[in-house]
Amino acid sequence: MALEDICNLRNSCLHQNWLPASPATSFLMTDCYNLGLKGPKKSQRNNEVPLQFFIPPLLNSTSFLNRSPSSYFQGNPPVTVRRPFPLSHGTTTLGFVFQGGVIAAADTRASAGGLVACPEVEKINPIHSHLVVTSSGSGADCMLWERILTREIRLYQLRHKRCLSISGTAKLLSFMLHPFKGTDVCVALTLCGWDKELIYVCSDGARLQGNIFSVGSGSPYAYGVLDRELSWSLSNEEAISLAREAVFRATHRDAYSGNNVDLFHITAQGWHQRKRENLKEEYYRDMKKRAKKVEERKRMANELDTHN
Amino acid sequence: MLQSQGNEVLVTVADDLVTADKNSLSSLTAPPLASSQSVPLPFPMSHGTTTLAFMFQGGVLAAADTRSSCSGLVACPAAQKILPIHSHLVSTTSGTSADCALWKRILARELRLYQLRHGRRLSTGGAAKLLSHMLHPFKGTKLCVAATLCGWDGGEKQSFSGPRLFYVCSDGTRLQGSLFSVGSGSPYAYSILDQGVEWKLTVDEAISIAREAVYRATHRDAYSGNFVDIYHISSKGWTRRSREDLKEEYYREKEKRTKEKRDVAGLDSVCAEK
Repeated sequence: MALEDICNLRNSCLHQNWLPASPATSFLMTDCYNLGLKGPKKSQRNNEVPLQFFIPPLLNSTSFLNRSPSSYFQGNPPVTVRRPFPLSHGTTTLGFVFQGGVIAAADTRASAGGLVACPEVEKINPIHSHLVVTSSGSGADCMLWERILTREIRLYQLRHKRCLSISGTAKLLSFMLHPFKGTDVCVALTLCGWDKELIYVCSDGARLQGNIFSVGSGSPYAYGVLDRELSWSLSNEEAISLAREAVFRATHRDAYSGNNVDLFHITAQGWHQRKRENLKEEYYRDMKKRAKKVEERKRMANELDTHN
Repeated sequence: MLQSQGNEVLVTVADDLVTADKNSLSSLTAPPLASSQSVPLPFPMSHGTTTLAFMFQGGVLAAADTRSSCSGLVACPAAQKILPIHSHLVSTTSGTSADCALWKRILARELRLYQLRHGRRLSTGGAAKLLSHMLHPFKGTKLCVAATLCGWDGGEKQSFSGPRLFYVCSDGTRLQGSLFSVGSGSPYAYSILDQGVEWKLTVDEAISIAREAVYRATHRDAYSGNFVDIYHISSKGWTRRSREDLKEEYYREKEKRTKEKRDVAGLDSVCAEK
């Protein structure tokens, strides 16, 4: 795997464990494309990196691939690491479909308990030119699974000379996440694609297609705004300003969302990213708008008085 | 919110509390702690509701849905979550329905006694403090009350005249503010209210924003729904609008959206022809 190579795991003893000589191993290899591989297949061009995806032994999860329970207890049982802070989807991401394509928007705050770990995280990442994924849950898990998904999609494209459909991508991701169901992997991704499709995939196993999704602790606040104004016939500018307003309202009330807003617009020509906007400015603009409205009302009231 | 079994139960309890000690307030507030057996909760309690209240130039507007839920069951689709306390004070309730109904009656009784003894109504802030202090001995028990007191202070012998809004909770919180929303549906309502509420609203605009906010919350939240109650408190006292079915609101909006879609499709086809 590319990551394994980058992390210099090749020469460590862990790598030796991952490629044991005997088939009775405590690790299981996936064979997503049914290529009929019996042993680990290594890349010849890329420093003998193994091409399959290895699943570590997990005590409690069930798998659609049959495993013998005896394989779990060979060697040392896995050590469980205590969580540093309670994990929750501290974010606001949203996506919706309209006549001009798909809009994906997210805030940029990464929180760890009460600390803002990073105020400028990118929660929306492109997978290929016509597919974008918004992430929520554990930042590390999301980053890893986005990379794995990107790699798998690219490999599919190279092998079959066409792009995998969005529903196919969602299914692939869901099946890849399935062995980790019941563990601490916490990933909630929304795949936003060119074909006006929006699919929500979650590490609990949910895979849902819809026209509007909002994920994270700020999502109820965003839903209120989106439900009110969303319609199919919005223009591009209206849709973008609706997405921005929804994220702004969520960051105003939710402590775990904030800082900036990222906006992506996906059409048949591909995805297009807008410049990141600071929500502090949005707040001041909103205050000015309200002050103007109050003045307008006062002026009209004065005019009525002078007429009467 | 659990629906109480009927008025007879409440009256008996209130009488017991009264006969315990007629003069002092403190005696009715001591709960038996170590000696009693704890009754297990029938289902996990959560504030399954949407209530909201905000201040504006025309007074205070309070709105709430009407669904009483017990875990997954809708125990009552036509409950009343906004309870008037006296002519110029209304409280929205959230938490356990039985606790809220009881404490509202106790508060109404205490405020009436104050009025008779001192010849003037207690201010909303005073009522909030009184409720908060009465609930304090029960902090840490399973009592669950989250009320917003919406009132208009005024009249002769009062220093302040105008609308007031307080949030009182059984865990000890007592907050004054100009906009509150309580319950499982509150986040959905908050975003709508943040967009639209300002001081200079007219009464009709305020009512339509409150209705929209409750409607959006009931659309997304499973524990809120059915009808919406809207109360308006002004210097003349509280007035209640007739209960509105949110199902009609849903169909009205659906009509509007399909009409919009048809219009857009019509426009597109006209452009295509050209």
